[in-house]
Amino acid sequence: MSSSAVDAEALDLVCQLDNVQGMVDALSAVRWKRNQDAVIELSEHGVVFIVEETGCLQAKVYLQRELFTRYEYSAQGRPRLGVSLGLFVDCLNTFSVPGHSSFIEIRYPGPDMQLLLKSVDSLDACIYAEIKTRIPDSISWDYNFEPAGSTPLTFTVKSAALKEAIDDLEWPGSSIQIKLQPVPPAVTFRGEGHGDLQIDLMYYVNTDLLVAFHCDRQVSYWYKYKFLRSTTSNIPNSVIKDNRGSKLTIGRGGMLKVQHLVSVARSSTLYPHIDSAGYKQPSRIAYIEFFVKPEEDEDAVND
Amino acid sequence: MKFKAFLTENGVNLLEKRFLPALDKMGKICHLFLTREHTFFLHNLLSGDGVQSIAQFQKEALFDDYRISSQNEDRIAFAIDISLLNRAVRSSVSICSELGGDGSTANRLQIKLVKKLPPNSTLPTPFLTFETKGYKSAVIQDVPISKPLSRAQVLELQTALDMAQDLPQTLVQVPDLNQLQNFVDRMKHVGDLLNVSISKYGDLHVQTSTTLITLGAEFRKLLVVGERAVPPPEDQNVSAQIRSERAILRGDAQLVQVNVKHFSKSLQCHLVKPDCAFYGIAPQGACLTVIFQFFIPGTRQTDKSISLHCRLPVLDPS
Repeated sequence: MSSSAVDAEALDLVCQLDNVQGMVDALSAVRWKRNQDAVIELSEHGVVFIVEETGCLQAKVYLQRELFTRYEYSAQGRPRLGVSLGLFVDCLNTFSVPGHSSFIEIRYPGPDMQLLLKSVDSLDACIYAEIKTRIPDSISWDYNFEPAGSTPLTFTVKSAALKEAIDDLEWPGSSIQIKLQPVPPAVTFRGEGHGDLQIDLMYYVNTDLLVAFHCDRQVSYWYKYKFLRSTTSNIPNSVIKDNRGSKLTIGRGGMLKVQHLVSVARSSTLYPHIDSAGYKQPSRIAYIEFFVKPEEDEDAVND
Repeated sequence: MKFKAFLTENGVNLLEKRFLPALDKMGKICHLFLTREHTFFLHNLLSGDGVQSIAQFQKEALFDDYRISSQNEDRIAFAIDISLLNRAVRSSVSICSELGGDGSTANRLQIKLVKKLPPNSTLPTPFLTFETKGYKSAVIQDVPISKPLSRAQVLELQTALDMAQDLPQTLVQVPDLNQLQNFVDRMKHVGDLLNVSISKYGDLHVQTSTTLITLGAEFRKLLVVGERAVPPPEDQNVSAQIRSERAILRGDAQLVQVNVKHFSKSLQCHLVKPDCAFYGIAPQGACLTVIFQFFIPGTRQTDKSISLHCRLPVLDPS
C-alpha cells in the first residue's frame, strides 16, 4: 500500500473502478474473435480501447473518467499501449465475483511497463495481476468519420432488435445492404447470397423499435456480413435488459458507425431497491463505437 | 467373496446428494474398496498422475446389516463408474419414495455383489446390484464393475492408501470455497500452472504466470492448524509476491506448482458440502493436500465417521 503511495507521482495513471463486471461487459462487446490485439489510449478524459480488423472494421470502447471512482492522470501526451484484449478481459473477469461489487485499482506503468491491477475491497484477500504491454502497432487506417452531407444520415434502433435483425441475416450471409430512404421513412437491411432476405424497419409503424430517424435522401451501401455481425454479436446482456438503443450513422463514403451504450453502474443485484425505484446512475455509461467500411463495389444509388 | 448390505437413509443422502456428484467430477472411474469397518472411494491411487481423492466412510455411516467376507482378510476392491453408480442410487431413491409412501421400512435399498451372465455372453460378469423391494414389486439394477482386484492389487491399494495419510505440517482454512473456485475457474482461462504457497502465518497465495501475464490471489490471516508463526511486521506493507517470497526464504512457507485444472477439481469437492476445508503442503513439497472436515450435524465436533481429502500431484518437485 505504502509503496503505491510513493510511486503514485511517477505513474501515468492510477484509477479505481467499483464495477468490474460493467467493464468486462463493455470490453466483451468488441471481442469478436479469440486473439485480438487492443490499443489502450490513456488521457485526462478517460481510457479508450481500440481494436480493429484488416482495415475494414474498427471498434472503440470509451471509458470516461466519470466511470471511475478515482482517476488520477499525470502523463504527458497520450500514452498508448498494446495488450491482448482476450487476455485482458479474462484477467479482469477473475476480479469479478458474482453477487459482489468488486472494487479494483488499475495503475500504469509498472516497473516493466506492465499494466497493474489489484482488488482493493478487502484487506485480507487480494487479487492482483500484472499484464505485459507492448508498443502498439500504428493504427492502419484512420477512421476519420465525416458526415455524409449537411444533415446526418442516422437512425436509432433498439439494440435487441438490431441484434435480432443482424442474426437473422446470417442465413443469406456474405453481403448485407443497408438502405435508408426518406419517403416513407424506413431502413432496409437486405441480404443476398444463398437466398434473399429483406428486413424493413418502418419509422412510423414501429416507433418503439426505430426510435429516431434522420434521412433527407436515399442512400444504400453494402457491408460484409461478418463485419456487421461483429458489431452486435457480443452485445452485453445488460444492454438488452436495459432496453437500450443503438445508433447507426452512415458517413461519407458509406462508412457505417454503430454506437452502443453499456451501463457500468454498480450492479443492481446489490441494490435492487434502487432499481425498482427507477433510479439509474445516468453518467455511468461506457460508449462503444464500431466503424465498418462499406464494400468497394458499391453499385448503389449514392449522392 | 461376498458383500451384502442395506444402504441407510443417511447413507443414501450422503452418497446421492453429496459425495457421488462431487466424486464424479474427480474422475469417471474410481475404486470402491470395502473392508470390515470402512468403505472407501478412491481416485487415482494406483495410477501415478491425476488428483488422488480419498473418501472414507465408517460402515455405519452408510450401511446397516453389513456383511462382507473374502479370503483376503474380508477386503474387496473393484473399479466402478461413479456416474452409473450415482444413477442407480438416484433411481432407487425415487422408486423408494414412490413405493414407501406409507413410511414402512420394508422398502429398503439392498446392495450386493453378484456375478451374472449378461445377455449375449457366456462369461459371468460381476455387478453391484441394487435391489429395491416395494410393497408389491421389486426393482433390481445392476451396475457393472471391474473384476475384483487380486490379492496383490488390494495390497497395493492398501499401501497407497496408507501412504496417502500423511498430514501437512501446516494447514490453512479456506474461508470461502465457492469464491475461491469462482476465481480459479476464471484463472483457468489465463494460465495452466498454478503456484501455491502456504505460510505458517496463515497466508494462502495462488498465482499463475505466463510470458504475458501474472495473475494471483492472496488470502491472509486464515486459521492455521499445525505449525504456525507470527508474521513479521515489516511484511505488512509489501506486495503479495514479495510477502510470500520472504516467507519462503525464511522457511516459514512452502511453495509448490500444480496444474490449475487439478486445483479447480479439488475445489469441486465443495459439492460434498463440507463444513471446513484446509489446504496444506505435504512434507518436502510432495503434494498439495486439501482436507475437508465434516461436523456432527448441529455441533462443531468433527464427524469422524466421514472423511475426504485430495492430494494434488506437484509438477516441479524442485
